[in-house]
Amino acid sequence: MTLPTAFSPGAFLAPAIDWLNANFHPFFALVTRVIEAVLGAFEGALLALPPWALIAVVAVAAFLAINLRAAILAGCCLGFCWLTGLWTGSMQTIALVAVAVAISVAIAFPLGILAARRPAIEAALRPVLDIMQTVPPWVYLIPAVMIFSLGRVPAIIATIVYGIPPMLRLTTLAFRGVPKDLKELGEAIGAKPGTILWKIEFPAATPTLLVGLNQCILLSLAMVVLAGLVGAGGLGAEVTRGLTRMEMGLGLRAGLAIVAVALLMDRLSRGALQQGRRWRRPGAAG
Amino acid sequence: MEISALIARFDEMVDNALFWLGDHAAFLFDFFRVVLEGLYDGALWLLELPPFYVVALAAGLLGWRVVGRGFGLGIAVALLACAAMGLWPETMSTLALVIAASIIALAVSLPLGVLAGLMPRLDRALTPVLDLIQTLPPYIYLLPSIALLGYGPATALVATVIVAMPPAIRLTSLGIRQTPHEFIELGRATGVTPAQMFFKIRLPFAVPSIMAGINQSLMMAFGMVVIAGIVGSGGLGETIYGAIRTLDIATSIDASIAIVILTMMLDRLTQGAARPRKGARK
Repeated sequence: MTLPTAFSPGAFLAPAIDWLNANFHPFFALVTRVIEAVLGAFEGALLALPPWALIAVVAVAAFLAINLRAAILAGCCLGFCWLTGLWTGSMQTIALVAVAVAISVAIAFPLGILAARRPAIEAALRPVLDIMQTVPPWVYLIPAVMIFSLGRVPAIIATIVYGIPPMLRLTTLAFRGVPKDLKELGEAIGAKPGTILWKIEFPAATPTLLVGLNQCILLSLAMVVLAGLVGAGGLGAEVTRGLTRMEMGLGLRAGLAIVAVALLMDRLSRGALQQGRRWRRPGAAG
Repeated sequence: MEISALIARFDEMVDNALFWLGDHAAFLFDFFRVVLEGLYDGALWLLELPPFYVVALAAGLLGWRVVGRGFGLGIAVALLACAAMGLWPETMSTLALVIAASIIALAVSLPLGVLAGLMPRLDRALTPVLDLIQTLPPYIYLLPSIALLGYGPATALVATVIVAMPPAIRLTSLGIRQTPHEFIELGRATGVTPAQMFFKIRLPFAVPSIMAGINQSLMMAFGMVVIAGIVGSGGLGETIYGAIRTLDIATSIDASIAIVILTMMLDRLTQGAARPRKGARK
């Protein structure tokens, strides 16, 4: 039951993508190489230490930065990843998420500040963000796969794009929520715009910014896991293998390792959030 | 290595446990599968009964009534475009999956949300569970369901229901809890029965929040249904999965356009359904 005339926007767009691939290949190859290099370096760093040493380092860092509970949780989660026999996959997933989140934040943070200053930019961005947040994550993978083919690069690009909206929204909200009297105080004592931004607005906006970071991390993790379908490697690939080959033991181990990674990232970023609140309090009082 | 031995033991245990379940509890899972697939088939049958232009027209009229004339015209044209791309059966089976999953999810989560709103202790017990469900990537919910229910729409439905429940539970309980104090006191002072208190005072105040929860649930369900293409749910998800694996660019673009059309339609329709009621009440 279809219309007699076939209509396919895809058939029109496919040649355009082919043309892009043919004529901009050096550019895409450059992007691919840069991303692969950064990811490779990050993964190499995570895998350079033996698992027990990395677990110890992370636990100590969590203890120093947050508290004992966070340290125990971090140790348990990473130890669990090790026990599932998927240490390499877990580290690949963590590296993908970390690089994607860093780039998402680097894009969303300045845009968010700009949108908080200029209502016109915010009005222009809002419908775009609305659409981006309603579209299911799968759809992000398709254009990335078309241009960068299968592998880690389309995965990370889709993840970056998917992680931008929550961070951008909450950055705008955070900077809009900075009390006016604080900014006026800065202007009255003749601080430079840069000083006002970093010394006054940024500390006041930190709690909301960290909420944005937490959401950005969790959405990125969901996307990285899903990207196992397009050959991104890591734990997502193991889940996909388990699902498609009905190797339930492997699938279950990968799923549990993902649970551990998700808990680790969520709790650490939330711990940082509470820490951020604690820093802010004396600052606001003094 | 001791870890590899441990892993082999674990995998064996999982396989054995699944075999055991398959031997001893097959009737239970078959029953679930029959119920779920029945619901899905029913929804699909209803959607495929009329020809595509009737469905598009009906959706257009609904959009006009609920949102506005431009939107109604837009979705009628967009659905006709889906049919023209040759994706009509897939579009309808995706919609049927979303509808079936949302019905189950809402049938569980609305009463649960109301109970949680009335009983703070239940709410406190549910919160960590909901947090966990929302923290984990949706993709992994396919694992337990494929292990127990096998390949097919029933698996997709189970995973979708899990993902769709938390927002509805949360926002329902929030809406029930947020009844203004004065009105509860007014109710007590005038001596209403508990049922009247609930239906005439608490529920009306909760409606906007509940509608927001239904909207979010539907959107989560939609995202999951598309992902569930990998376990053979049928519909647009499977079309895209197949097209990506064979790098068939034209089909994957068409299918993503159809997905975006459906997403926009469901999102705006449920948002639009929430708005006028809120306006009428205030």
